[in-house]
Amino acid sequence: MPKSGSTSKITRRTALAGLSAGAALLAMPRLGRAADETIRIGFPTPLTGPFAAEARDQVKCAELAVKLVNDKGGIGGRKVELLVRDDKLNAGEAATRTLELIEKDKVHAVVGALSSAVQLAVNEVTRARGVIYVSISQSDTINEAKDFSKYTFHEALNPHMTTAAVARQTLKKGMKVAHLVADYAYGHEMLRGFKRAQAAIGADNVGEILHPFGAADYSTFMPRLMSMRPDVLCISNFGRDQANSIKQAVDFGVKQQMKIVVPVILHNQRLAVGPDVFEGVVGGANYYWGLEGQSKSAASFNAAFKAANGGAIPTDYGAYGYSGVGSLLAAMQAAGGTDTDKVVDALEKLQYDLTKGPQHYRKCDHQSVQSVLVLESKKKSAMAGDNDLFAVLANDAGSDDMLRSCSELGHAT
Amino acid sequence: MTGPSSGEAVAKASPGGFSWLLEQRVLLSVAVLAVLPWVLPSQALAVNVLIYGVVVMGYNLLFGYTGLLSFGQAAFFGAGAYFTGIAIGRYGVPWFAAVPVAVLLSTCLAAAIGIVSTRTRGIYFSMVTLALAQLVYYVALQASSFTGGENGLRGFTVDRINLFGLQLNFLDPINKYYVLMAFAALAMWFQSRILNSPFGAVIEAIRENEQRARACGYDVERSKLIVFMLSGAISSLGGCMLALHLSIVPLDILHYQTSGMIVMMVLLGGARSFFGPFVGAASFLILEDVISLWTPHWQIFVGAIFVLFVLFLPKGIWGTLLDALRVGKARP
Repeated sequence: MPKSGSTSKITRRTALAGLSAGAALLAMPRLGRAADETIRIGFPTPLTGPFAAEARDQVKCAELAVKLVNDKGGIGGRKVELLVRDDKLNAGEAATRTLELIEKDKVHAVVGALSSAVQLAVNEVTRARGVIYVSISQSDTINEAKDFSKYTFHEALNPHMTTAAVARQTLKKGMKVAHLVADYAYGHEMLRGFKRAQAAIGADNVGEILHPFGAADYSTFMPRLMSMRPDVLCISNFGRDQANSIKQAVDFGVKQQMKIVVPVILHNQRLAVGPDVFEGVVGGANYYWGLEGQSKSAASFNAAFKAANGGAIPTDYGAYGYSGVGSLLAAMQAAGGTDTDKVVDALEKLQYDLTKGPQHYRKCDHQSVQSVLVLESKKKSAMAGDNDLFAVLANDAGSDDMLRSCSELGHAT
Repeated sequence: MTGPSSGEAVAKASPGGFSWLLEQRVLLSVAVLAVLPWVLPSQALAVNVLIYGVVVMGYNLLFGYTGLLSFGQAAFFGAGAYFTGIAIGRYGVPWFAAVPVAVLLSTCLAAAIGIVSTRTRGIYFSMVTLALAQLVYYVALQASSFTGGENGLRGFTVDRINLFGLQLNFLDPINKYYVLMAFAALAMWFQSRILNSPFGAVIEAIRENEQRARACGYDVERSKLIVFMLSGAISSLGGCMLALHLSIVPLDILHYQTSGMIVMMVLLGGARSFFGPFVGAASFLILEDVISLWTPHWQIFVGAIFVLFVLFLPKGIWGTLLDALRVGKARP
């Protein structure tokens, strides 16, 4: 570079001119904000990454909940707007997006997230700023006193209640149980829940294997699991991992030896791999569209979803988006606006029935007390149609007994 | 409105008319950063530009100026954040003391990793830094009673700060930005000082011709280790800023993808230039921010833009811009 010696003679004048041009640019008025009368709900969710299918369902259902309220004239005449942001399944990204939603978009509340770590990050940001957050992803940690705040609500099931319900249906005294667990918070919490339920039932633990989050190859784990000779194999993972691991377990002939049980059986993953692979797999769920025979609210939720989405049916994780946003909006309706303290009060008093039967937020930890379903994946020949995926083995009505006690969680009682 | 920044220019520059501008590069950079929260789409994004700018600037010392391609810079970024969070949350250290403590501890970590890795060269150096950074990742994952493991570190929110008797609401994005900008300014001054010192000339000599630098009597190994530590120290300051900003430390901060992102930012902005890291961080984050609002497939676009830069603008945005300005100026 021959010229480099004589290069950087940018004169003071040029620098000043540049600076003032920059300043002039800045002085331009910033873009106007949305009108103040709209109620804005922030909705961070992992639109990209391994949970994208579940996240898209959440968005569709959350939008439906907003639309239904807006169709009826909004809340006190104010329209509701849902601001969806991609958190990329990354806690740091989620925290940044949540900050942005609060500081720039001035949201009145936040609903969303689809991973244990991400919801805790969102919660940390919202509670410091006194913004209501309704989490719609499974977590036990968020119930505990350390992460709780009066602004924190948890609409999703938690691992403790899910695993207990599944274990009650599948385990018996003296059974041998092995675990294949995704090595991150969700898997660990599910494993902890299963072991607690196992101990209460009197089933024996014969081994645990951790697999990396997002693993594609499970072939090395299967022979080890089979050599443990369990009666039941609990596979605690989520999203694509669930479909991949069950598929490979079936290829290894695991099902001839033992029953496969999962804490949460996912509608989308069952659709992704087909009935033969999932046949006989038992798992918990917060929602299944087939409840419509038993529950009026399920029937009307299904109908509204079908009307808005060209005949498609809502999924389990989708239903969280609906009930999470729906319960919040109902509380705002009751509070007559968005005043945070009043809405918190209203949420604590709220009795709601949006998708499957009565629900309410427990006072001490704001965990939603709700029914837990246990589903079994149907044989292909037993399916009445393409959407007839599961048989409902149990529908345990919600009660405080399902949850860990307030004092165990560290809340003042 | 630029500071001269090419490393070569700094090395060859004679004092005189040049020194005025050299002193100003820190001030000019700070002036540009000072207006960021008012121009970018959100203040949260502006703070991120600041944080990643500092991290990438530290990395630029190693990669741009010394020519050592490390794939493990996330270790120091993360270490700074974790040490800050643990110091505040677990040991109740006030925030202004937690930052220097965290930088000091991270520098020790950099020394440990540097002692092992700077003995290797080229691709081996990259691989060793990557491996050791992964080691740090797994330590943070396993030591969950200290770090919160997979759930990330939480519970150390700094909401009010006392600045020489002045009570500031640290949750206010503007207050937060300018307090963190003071840290960034400090880091820039420090880095500028390093680059202007004889040591700054030595590391560039090592980049240009290691054998020759050795023949001239410089202790190459020792210089590499020192620059590795300095680079780690500056990047860890970015980590401290992140911890104060987000009041969480996500485990992903230590992931090798973060290291990859740092490399991408420095290439995008322009390695070997003083302000390039901030330009790189800003353009990467803005691209991500804007495109991901528009489509979930933002990575395709960011990737394509990155490939185009590597192919056609190897000096990055800032480096190319400076070159263009120079061509215009050099011939009267």
